[in-house]
Amino acid sequence: MNYRTFMVLFSSIHLFLLLPSAVQSQSEPNGTATGDVVLVQAQMCEDIQGQTPQNATTVFSIERRKAICFTTFDPVPVETDIYHHWFHRDRPSARIKLSLKPPRWSTYSSIQFRAQDIGPWRVEITDANGQILQILRFSITE
Amino acid sequence: MEKIISLIATLRWQDVIEISLLSYILFRFYVLFRGTNAFRVLIGLTVLWFFQQVAVSIGLTVTTGWSRQLLSWGPLIIIVIFRNEIRTVLQASHLKALLWDVSSKTVFSTIEIIVESVNEMAARKCGALIVFPGKDDVEELIQKGISWKGDISKEMILSIFWPDNPVHDGAAIVQGDQVVQVSAILPLSRRDDIPTYYGTRHRAALGLAEVSDALILAVSEERGDVVVARDGQLKVVKQKRKLEQILQEHKGVASKKGRELIKEKLMVAAAALFCVIFITGVWFSVSRGGDTLLTLESPVVYLKRDPSMEIVQTSVNSVSLELEGSGALIKSIKPNQVQVKFDLSKSKAGPNSFTITRESISLPPGIVLKRVTPTVVEVDLDVLIKKELPVQIDWVGRLPDHFILTETDIEPETVTVIGGKRILENISTLYTEKVPLNNLEVQGTITVNLALTPASLKIAPDSKEKVTITYLTKLRNQ
Repeated sequence: MNYRTFMVLFSSIHLFLLLPSAVQSQSEPNGTATGDVVLVQAQMCEDIQGQTPQNATTVFSIERRKAICFTTFDPVPVETDIYHHWFHRDRPSARIKLSLKPPRWSTYSSIQFRAQDIGPWRVEITDANGQILQILRFSITE
Repeated sequence: MEKIISLIATLRWQDVIEISLLSYILFRFYVLFRGTNAFRVLIGLTVLWFFQQVAVSIGLTVTTGWSRQLLSWGPLIIIVIFRNEIRTVLQASHLKALLWDVSSKTVFSTIEIIVESVNEMAARKCGALIVFPGKDDVEELIQKGISWKGDISKEMILSIFWPDNPVHDGAAIVQGDQVVQVSAILPLSRRDDIPTYYGTRHRAALGLAEVSDALILAVSEERGDVVVARDGQLKVVKQKRKLEQILQEHKGVASKKGRELIKEKLMVAAAALFCVIFITGVWFSVSRGGDTLLTLESPVVYLKRDPSMEIVQTSVNSVSLELEGSGALIKSIKPNQVQVKFDLSKSKAGPNSFTITRESISLPPGIVLKRVTPTVVEVDLDVLIKKELPVQIDWVGRLPDHFILTETDIEPETVTVIGGKRILENISTLYTEKVPLNNLEVQGTITVNLALTPASLKIAPDSKEKVTITYLTKLRNQ
């Protein structure tokens, strides 16, 4: 496994509330359905408070130390897995497996920054079959 | 000896032709200009050239510079000073004489001129008296005339005996190829058996023939016949050829002809041999001198590349060539004369390896390749394809801490690029050039260029080269 799993702190939280999409990142596509799982929200944010993404943005200062990819699925008919693939430029950096549970589910993954992580990034959100549901793009700057 | 054999072994058929041609040109110069002052000066310049070469070899700097200057002006000096002589040679010679004839100007031409002149005077019934002294000194036998010293020409002889010319009475004395005296008075014969139709001119001719071994030609102005007086005899000669023969015999040409001919042929053969040896020596010293080394960086040229492929990468862009040749040839090398070329017509997509051989390097004649570095060139080729890629902004710098960038849009979102298949397979995003955050307003629009990496990528003709970014910032929610 080549991914930087040691640099990634990932976690999943189980939310039963659909979160409003307050901020739109540079992303494509949105609201993609695969099988019965439908991605209804995906955004990069600085923090999560009260099960809600805070300060959605596409630019992270390295001083902020971490970036979070927050995703919400509705419906989730059966228990399944999805993946967050983190890429620095076009180089894979981390692949994080997240579990989804019926009937709807929100989950997130995050990375901790290092000095050499400055530059453009993207997160590919895929289902268990590897099909891309959405791509979120952001930058880590000074 | 081995070196000589190896040198000869390197000769190409073009070199043989060149040496032959230059030798023949030099030989023709010798044939056309031998005996002239221009030729003697040319010999002097050749000696000076050898002198200069010796001076160079032993390191005489001032002498070398001086002789080099003189030699550089030599041809011009020859042409200016000897222009008339050169013109005479070139005008007098027809094409065959210029390119082929090896016969020299001899006494025959003088005799031919005299015979022609005498025949014309006979036809015009213009009296003439011409003396060709033998071994006897005739100075004391004749009453000295007027000194003339003119080179023999038909026009001059005709003018001397022209009736209105004050010197036409009397004899013209011919020595070598000159008329040395005119209007000379010859002793008259006292013989009684001379036919009555011969006048004073014939009696004078016979008079000198009786007391010397001279040959005298008399042209009768009454009858227009030509009479030869020799050994106390008068003889009418009607045929040109016969008169030529008599004159040749008298001048001793006929008896020496065989020897002279052999001598002349030997001279011509020696000259021809000298020309070949001289030109061969000069040619080898110039083209195979090998006294100078030059290291040259030559760019590598790739030919006949399949238009559907591109060169992704090469191990080198130029190669270092160590060349050897004579100083003159090395100095005259121009960069475009030396090229390293590879034919890519049989190359395939992926890495290709080319070994640099002598055949892949074009060099001017006479230049020898001693070493090439590197000896192998790697060329990576790829098939050109088009690929549509999403565009991502490459932000740099930082926003004020209390602001966050909440929305960004790019127009167009994707751009089609053309590049190598293997390169584009590993590229999934096209980035903009770096966009500074420091100067952003609360919201706005920026137009930026795309950063094409690697540089071999090109934006497809139907795609835009710039993208427009629309952004919105907000206060951070603490």
